[in-house]
Amino acid sequence: MSTLVNIQQASRTIKSGGNSINLLDSIDLKVNEGDFISLMGPSGSGKSTLLNCIGMLDNFTEGNYTFLDEPVHKMKEKNRVKLYQEYIGFVFQAYHLIDELTVEENIETPLLYKNVKSKERKALVADMLDRFNIVGKKKLFPEQLSGGQQQLVGIARALVATPKLILADEPTGNLNSKQSQEIMELFAKLNNEGVTIIQATHSEENASYGSRIVNLLDGSIVKS
Amino acid sequence: MYRNYIKIAIRNLFKNKVYSLINISGLAIGITTTLMIGLWINDELSYNNHFENKATIAQVLQNGTYNGNTETGTAIPRPLEFSLRKDYNDNFKYVVMSSWTLPRYLEYGEKNLNFQGNYMQKDAPEMLNLEIIAGIKNGIDDQKSIMISESTAKALFDDENPIGKIVTLNSTDDVSVSAVYKDIPSNNSFSDLEYLASWDFFLATNKYAENAKTQWANDSFQLFVEINENITMDAVTSKIIDVKKLASTDEAALDPQLFLFPMKDWYLRNNFEGGKQVGGRIENVWTFGIIGAFVLLLACINFVNLSTARSEKRAIEVGIRKSIGSKRSQLISQFLSESFLIVFLSFVLSIGLVLLFLNGFNNLASKEIVFPWYNKSFWLVSLIFIAITSLLSGSYPALFLSAFNPVTVLKGTFKTGRNSSLPRKILVVSQFTVSVALIIGTIVVMNQIDFAKNRPTGYNKEGLIQIPVMSSEFKGKRDVMRNQFIASGAVTEMAGTSSPMTEIWSSRSGYTWDGKPDGFQEEFAQTSVSYEFAETLGLKIIEGRGFSREFPSDSTAVILNKSAVAYMGLENPADKYLRDKYNAVSLKIIGVIDDIIIQSPYSPVKPSIYLFEKGNYVNYYNIRMNPTKSVADNLAIIKSTFKANFPNLPFVYQFVDEQYGQKFRAEERIASLSKVFTLLAIFISCLGLFGLASFVAEQRTKEIGVRKTLGASVSQLWMLLSKDFLKLVVISLTIGSPIAYLLMTKWLQKFPYRTDISWTVFVLACSGAIIITIITVSYQAIKSATSNPVDSLRTE
Repeated sequence: MSTLVNIQQASRTIKSGGNSINLLDSIDLKVNEGDFISLMGPSGSGKSTLLNCIGMLDNFTEGNYTFLDEPVHKMKEKNRVKLYQEYIGFVFQAYHLIDELTVEENIETPLLYKNVKSKERKALVADMLDRFNIVGKKKLFPEQLSGGQQQLVGIARALVATPKLILADEPTGNLNSKQSQEIMELFAKLNNEGVTIIQATHSEENASYGSRIVNLLDGSIVKS
Repeated sequence: MYRNYIKIAIRNLFKNKVYSLINISGLAIGITTTLMIGLWINDELSYNNHFENKATIAQVLQNGTYNGNTETGTAIPRPLEFSLRKDYNDNFKYVVMSSWTLPRYLEYGEKNLNFQGNYMQKDAPEMLNLEIIAGIKNGIDDQKSIMISESTAKALFDDENPIGKIVTLNSTDDVSVSAVYKDIPSNNSFSDLEYLASWDFFLATNKYAENAKTQWANDSFQLFVEINENITMDAVTSKIIDVKKLASTDEAALDPQLFLFPMKDWYLRNNFEGGKQVGGRIENVWTFGIIGAFVLLLACINFVNLSTARSEKRAIEVGIRKSIGSKRSQLISQFLSESFLIVFLSFVLSIGLVLLFLNGFNNLASKEIVFPWYNKSFWLVSLIFIAITSLLSGSYPALFLSAFNPVTVLKGTFKTGRNSSLPRKILVVSQFTVSVALIIGTIVVMNQIDFAKNRPTGYNKEGLIQIPVMSSEFKGKRDVMRNQFIASGAVTEMAGTSSPMTEIWSSRSGYTWDGKPDGFQEEFAQTSVSYEFAETLGLKIIEGRGFSREFPSDSTAVILNKSAVAYMGLENPADKYLRDKYNAVSLKIIGVIDDIIIQSPYSPVKPSIYLFEKGNYVNYYNIRMNPTKSVADNLAIIKSTFKANFPNLPFVYQFVDEQYGQKFRAEERIASLSKVFTLLAIFISCLGLFGLASFVAEQRTKEIGVRKTLGASVSQLWMLLSKDFLKLVVISLTIGSPIAYLLMTKWLQKFPYRTDISWTVFVLACSGAIIITIITVSYQAIKSATSNPVDSLRTE
């Protein structure tokens, strides 16, 4: 198994009113391809921040971060976006679909940003719709869907560009238990197909779908 | 990619209807205004473009210095022509002497109509690019020939072939039609040239003109030239500048300086002060150009303000897009294409608006602008204009929105900070500063017009009509006509004058009087008038008397106006004498009248001499209608009396008060244009304010809910929400008022007779702006203040 993410002694510090606050403190984390990791910990423990930093939406302020042997911490914004477009997909608690776009168009958008050709785009989107059984809903707008369906679209969108890594921040936080179960089963299936997944979650049950649990407290990994 | 952007933009437009409406209508109004002004400016700048040789045609003008006062005149003496032809001919392609454009009668068969036209030398058709429809181009080479315009031909001959037909000019002289030329389009000098007759014929039929052949002092004619292409106007001017001074020792004292006034400046830069060109209509072009740019800017500001105010709504989208791989540059292009779309839609809408209002605008501005559908450069400029407007309104929001950090905005706790509204506030302040300055400016312009209109004219212009009587058939008929008119009961008095009451046609020097200071270089406005001049016009005689039939010696008498007496330094003018250098008979001053405004109502009255018209050679009858009868009845009777005496002549008349009113036309046009632009500016600013107020109300929904549950009254909440906007407007007032004061003080400088800018103007403008703000903002404030707090709190 090759290493996908390698984080060494990474911290994230912000300044607030003259005080430095350590959101993340000396994190060491190695993620191999095919892992399904659950980040757990109470609110404010740094789960989301860690996820965002891994996802390159946010940056560590100290330490090293290599992604597929590329030193992310030394990269320029432009190259980071490239790397990110290529390998990473995000799934959010609040789904974060674009309200003004239909299901189909929402899924298509990451491909637009990657400058994928129109024909190929159509095929990839059709694949996704098919795979998630939402072909009938492709012309609908997000507000016309239930929460579970919206999250399905969110996952489809994250997967469409065939990323190596899915980052999911409380993906079932807004869903009822039945919907949650379905989504988690989907994740497990994706993981089986080879997609690496890191999820942040409060739920022991959700965490149980994963292969490994990382506990966070006050920005540090709790040794277990 | 761009299709996706546009799709999103269109869906956003429909989703936020109020916002879109405010944005598009505001921009459309702004663009419409700019387009209209642009078309107007283009029209102004293209004046005289009909003439192919616009760049090389000029009129010879002269400066003369009277008592240190240098004045510029268009009238030149006849010998100048000979001098230019003899000594400077190699500079000119054409030298064309010309009379003045005046209405004269052309008679053919039953028809006898009044046309504007000139007598000019034979190269005129070539120089003026007359487009010959029928006949020959050199149609005035023969002095008994006349060229007529297409519309003149239509009016005189209907469908007959005019060529070779004999028409009677001025009721006395038969000339043959040699050519018909296409009407010179409006928006050009000479567009009123309805006929063109031969200069030689003019000399042959006008004794004074023939006699002027050697008179360097007789500035009575016009001279147009076209210079050769290899020489500049300035170069020619420097050669001919002293021609008159050197030719006439008498005139040299007035330091006459000749110069070429290029055709391209005739319309836009025709103001002279102290012998120097000091602008003219070009100032209006600039003013309105700046106003147009400002109105557009106001609309762009709305766009910027509303986009950034809405940023919290767009922030999530930005976050999502970034999290699914969008680069910042891609977001910037997305937002720019959105603003491009909105600007483009607004532009399309504004073309509709321009078409809708072009007629009204043409009336307002006295123009005949047609929409330039087939003008490629118009569309090219429009495209550039759309691009610039899109960048102007879209770039700040694009940079602002695309800079959001996805982590922060997606967390859902994102709020634009306190300072983020600062640029918005600055923009609102600049909007209202412009609006307030425009309001004040417009009020001052209107005040100035009123001020000049209320200036006493010195004669009673109501119920007074004038009839042009330049045709020779009127000669010797003055007293007959007066008696008949009075006997008809429609007229109480009538007097003849050599020029209309609203114009001065003649200026004279060469007078001396006892006590005239040495070296005094006088210049008087001079008008010849008949008996009953003072009675007809209702003049105030402040010393002596008017011309009277009881004094046969009045044939050599003269009346002065008050300004002339002061100008000449006379103590007791009555019974003193005025000696004329060109005439052996001395003129006895018999009376002084109070000043009457003949020329500009904005300028001091010129020192004037009123000579007695001995014979009946007057050019206008001034007729005082019977005030006890209706104007319509009076006119009917006057017309029938006129027709009984001159059955072949058309009855032409003008109301003197209307003629006088035309003196205000230019300023009134400015006033009505600025009124329109000011209203638009205010409207656009209010539109923006309204939009902003609704966003602020939305943003503060929770705060309002909390305050309400704590017991705040509707009026307290209304105050809370309106206060911030009022503060901004008050700041605008403090900035806008002094700016407007300075600019308008400068504008007023060009009127010697001008109003003060009273403090009431500012009170009016400021209270107006405040009231408008309160009304605009209150709708939103009251709406949210009266909403149910439970609803607003539940949304959080």
